[in-house]
Amino acid sequence: MAYDDLRSFLDTLDKEGQLLRITDEVLPEPDLAAAANATGRIGENAPALYFNNVKGFTNARIAMNVHGSWANHALALGLPRNTPVKEQVEEFARRWDAFPVAPERREDAPWRENTQEGDEVDLFSVLPLFRLNDGDGGFYLDKAAVVSRDPDDPEHFGKQNVGTYRIQVIGTNRLAFQPVPMHDVAQHLRKAEEKGEDLPIAITLGNDPVMAIVAGMPMAYDQSEYEMAGALRGAPAPIATAPLTGFDVPWGSEVVIEGVIESRKRQIEGPFGEFTGHYSGGRRMPVIRVDRVSFRTNPVFESLYLGMPWTECDYLVGPNTCVPLLKQLRAEFPEVKAVNAMYTHGLMVIISTAKRYGGFAKAVGMRAMTTPHGLGYVSQVILVDEDVDPFNLPQVMWAMSAKVNPKDDVVVIPNLSVLELAPAAQPAGITSKMIIDATTPVSPDVRGNFSTPAKDLPETAQWAARLQSMLANRA
Amino acid sequence: MSNLPAECPRCAFETVARLATSPVPGVWDVLQCGRCLYTWRTTEPARRTRREAYPENFKLTPADIANAIEVPEVPPLLK
Repeated sequence: MAYDDLRSFLDTLDKEGQLLRITDEVLPEPDLAAAANATGRIGENAPALYFNNVKGFTNARIAMNVHGSWANHALALGLPRNTPVKEQVEEFARRWDAFPVAPERREDAPWRENTQEGDEVDLFSVLPLFRLNDGDGGFYLDKAAVVSRDPDDPEHFGKQNVGTYRIQVIGTNRLAFQPVPMHDVAQHLRKAEEKGEDLPIAITLGNDPVMAIVAGMPMAYDQSEYEMAGALRGAPAPIATAPLTGFDVPWGSEVVIEGVIESRKRQIEGPFGEFTGHYSGGRRMPVIRVDRVSFRTNPVFESLYLGMPWTECDYLVGPNTCVPLLKQLRAEFPEVKAVNAMYTHGLMVIISTAKRYGGFAKAVGMRAMTTPHGLGYVSQVILVDEDVDPFNLPQVMWAMSAKVNPKDDVVVIPNLSVLELAPAAQPAGITSKMIIDATTPVSPDVRGNFSTPAKDLPETAQWAARLQSMLANRA
Repeated sequence: MSNLPAECPRCAFETVARLATSPVPGVWDVLQCGRCLYTWRTTEPARRTRREAYPENFKLTPADIANAIEVPEVPPLLK
């Protein structure tokens, strides 16, 4: 089941019992953010939240935590709501192989219903903006799919980027924008600023649930997020042409904001409570001038709470970080079985791999650090054997406790690159990185006493199925 | 809605502007500091709206603003 817009997905969440409508009047602050924060503190399979009675607003519709549980993430991919997380990641990886799937261009985008242009642009009149965390410098758009093009190759569909970046509303028609240097839009901006030119940009809000997943996914520079959305949806992604920039934007967006990043300008931004569980800010960031806003009648404003994990952000960028790393590693090392990169967008990753020969697992760890995403993340890698499930943390802890001889199995490499938001970096953007090799040494690495491992009995799998069946039938 | 406050809760700058006002008249305003761009709604808790209750960790000084680094750095112009 492929969703063409946010509204149709909200309907499905509703039918599946995964949408909670909060109809009592709430305050914009702190209620909206505190409720979304609380979804991560009430156990598994928290619902999305929908608010339509917010004090002072007459027409606010706010959706939060849309991806914020494994049940919701499964439904976003069209899977049954109770699909285990490891199976969701495996299905995601299977669908990846269909990439690229050409998008489908449509003409009748619903966001063409309403427009503000030039001096009449007032984002506060379109969006019920609000603050998320106490120390945030203002109100943010933090779940947008932002579209930009390579100024040197503007007709290249694959180099057209769709990404999610933090965006602070600093005026009725002005935004502060954070392009992390490792991200594609920063390359577009650099090329434009070297020529002294503004960079046109389209910011789309309230998208179908797969669009949000691909926008936060670390893909190669010339790979199209729309073609990946088609692969993941199992159907071409519907796109439309944005009226001012001419960029390709999602057909089903609630709101499309167009304008330019003003060349060579920086303005104070933030702080903003980030996915790292820490604030970052007090830095001078690029500025966007908004020239046109297109929006559906009665738009739904989608926002995402993030702060101390886990929050919706961790569900949203969990599987979509695991799968690119898995694919990139497997391209050279088919021995790699599974990658769990669900911690802080892959600042730490756990990789299970077979060993070609002694020392192989450490090489896989180093390769993970040098993938495109690894250059800005992957500061800790735990390697486990091929029969250890990296999504099963008790098993991973067992492997670390039983297999690691710290003197030889913990490797620290100084002064490597990491995104500037990483709280432990020193200076910002530079960190040491660590490999913990918790695999069983193989020849010619003959260390340790691992010759007689206790494995599951051959009959155990059969008994597991039998016990599960008996338990199910008992109900 | 009401009269504008005398100073920014975060940096104590004395020029504050109204960015938005509630669609239901008289419920709240969204205000913004003219220097540090801190933006707040008048109905938010005191810890976000009042200088004396604003957390020390998040206060900004003129030096903090002046010395803030650029991210990303503005690249040199190509000749």
